[in-house]
Amino acid sequence: MGSETQNAPAVHVAAAAIPLAQPFSILVTICGETAVSEVRVDAIMPAHQHGLNYAPKVTAISDRLFRVDDMLFHMPGLWELQVNVDFNGRSVSYTSEIALK
Amino acid sequence: MKLWVTAASIVLTGAVRAEVLLSEDEIQKTLSFGPWPPIVQSDPSNRVSRDSRAITLGAALFNDPVLSVDGAFSCASCHDPEQAFATSEAQALGRVLLDRNTPSLRNLAGLRWYGWGGKSDNLWAASLHPIIEEQELAHSKESLKTAISESSYVSDYETIFGSIQVQEPELVLVNTAKTISAYLETLGTERTQFDDFRDALERRDLAAAANYPAAAQRGLQLFLGRGNCVLCHNGPRFSNNEFHDAGVPYFLNETEVDEGRFGGLNFLLSSAYTLDGDWSDDPDKKGAWAVRSVRRSHSDFGTFRTPSLRGVAETAPYMHDGSLIDLDAVIRHYSKIDAERLHADGEAILSALNLSEREIADLVAFLATLSKVP
Ligand code: HEC
Ligand code: HEC
Repeated sequence: MGSETQNAPAVHVAAAAIPLAQPFSILVTICGETAVSEVRVDAIMPAHQHGLNYAPKVTAISDRLFRVDDMLFHMPGLWELQVNVDFNGRSVSYTSEIALK
Repeated sequence: MKLWVTAASIVLTGAVRAEVLLSEDEIQKTLSFGPWPPIVQSDPSNRVSRDSRAITLGAALFNDPVLSVDGAFSCASCHDPEQAFATSEAQALGRVLLDRNTPSLRNLAGLRWYGWGGKSDNLWAASLHPIIEEQELAHSKESLKTAISESSYVSDYETIFGSIQVQEPELVLVNTAKTISAYLETLGTERTQFDDFRDALERRDLAAAANYPAAAQRGLQLFLGRGNCVLCHNGPRFSNNEFHDAGVPYFLNETEVDEGRFGGLNFLLSSAYTLDGDWSDDPDKKGAWAVRSVRRSHSDFGTFRTPSLRGVAETAPYMHDGSLIDLDAVIRHYSKIDAERLHADGEAILSALNLSEREIADLVAFLATLSKVP
């Protein structure tokens, strides 16, 4: 994922094929050594001025691996996935674009 | 001899005139509207889902005025099996004139939300509310238990659920709704001309696909393309099952509005009959994630559930308030939609399409192929 913060630890997102208007899950991996205190996930459709109708549920699988459930993209088009990671009080935002058919 | 050959080749060119107009990308998108019918699982929150005795009892109750406190009307009074489980009035007539149009009850199995405002997250709750709704069948739990006990249905009820006398009235209400739900799960629309087209495209049988009328194909192209209809009307049911503002006014009169999804969520979140509640028969509470994690927002105000377009030609009039009399009127509505009237804090999707007369006719022709051939 991309971030505007300099030297931000790398973050990777893994998802199987994303279904339209059906719930899905993703895995978020956070690289580096800095301890992670919290991960928040959201998404918006920049072209349509709306976000997710359901709040994603984040569960820690390990210190650096998080599972995100209850994601649902209710329209085809370009979605912007937003991941916010709290590294010991320092919050870093990441985004990544997902085109859904 | 030579003349003959020429004549034959002229006939041939005539025959291959019918062709598939869709691009490869449009074909791929078209495949996502099927296959039909879909495979539906039994409802884990309803222990009598798929039970043939429950289906039979539910069908009988649906058509019987015993479900209304004074025997005045039945579910079928509004959801008429002869009229695609709806009626042709703009707004449903209960004990008073209701604010909303009666939806058809086909293809409801396995949806995430029910009702125009999504006040239920499962089909047995959506079947339960009208029984006790004051403006509809107006039973109390107690009067329903008495009515079932004294009716000819009591033995069928007891074969399925055991002695009614020892059951709390609320349990009788939920059980009754679950039999109706089991029945409603069996109602679906048939395959249509569109499905034959879609399946032919999947088989790559372009000769068979070319039987689909050119006007309907052009309508489908608009539906997928410039019309943007597929943004909300997608998947095999032609609905994303979420809530949007399609530019239909939601003022009821000068002072009142139909709150749409906003009111639906208020109702849902205080209801005992959700997939997360104690009346669900599913120990795993499958599907309860939606009621647990659904977000509330001001932009829910005046939004309504995207209706399915399967069988749509059979269920005029249209929209949550039945304000548009036919499909032509619906397309003209989208063509001239007033973007200024859409919610300021709402999503920016719809804008006037300014369709030509031919484009309007093409979209109507396409929608007609989603219903059974008359
Ligand atoms: C007075 C007319 C009337 C009667 C009687 C009535 N309904 Fe309805 N029904 C409606 C209307 C109007 C709606 C849409 C309500 C809404 O969304 O707020 C509806 C919605 C529904 C829905 C949700 C459909 C969907 O697409 O989500 C179900 C299920 C349903 N009714 C079942 C029943 C059953 C079962 C009965 C009998 C116990 C019944 N109805 C009696 C008018 C009626
Ligand atoms: C932003 C999402 C959205 C888009 C885009 C959209 N619709 Fe709709 N459609 C809806 C909603 C929501 C309703 C119900 C609105 C209401 O009742 O207030 C609806 C209602 C309808 C109905 C009436 C169905 C019924 O049973 O009452 C038809 C037909 C229809 N749309 C066709 C179309 C076509 C054709 C297009 C493209 C030109 C289109 N829609 C674009 C969301 C959308």
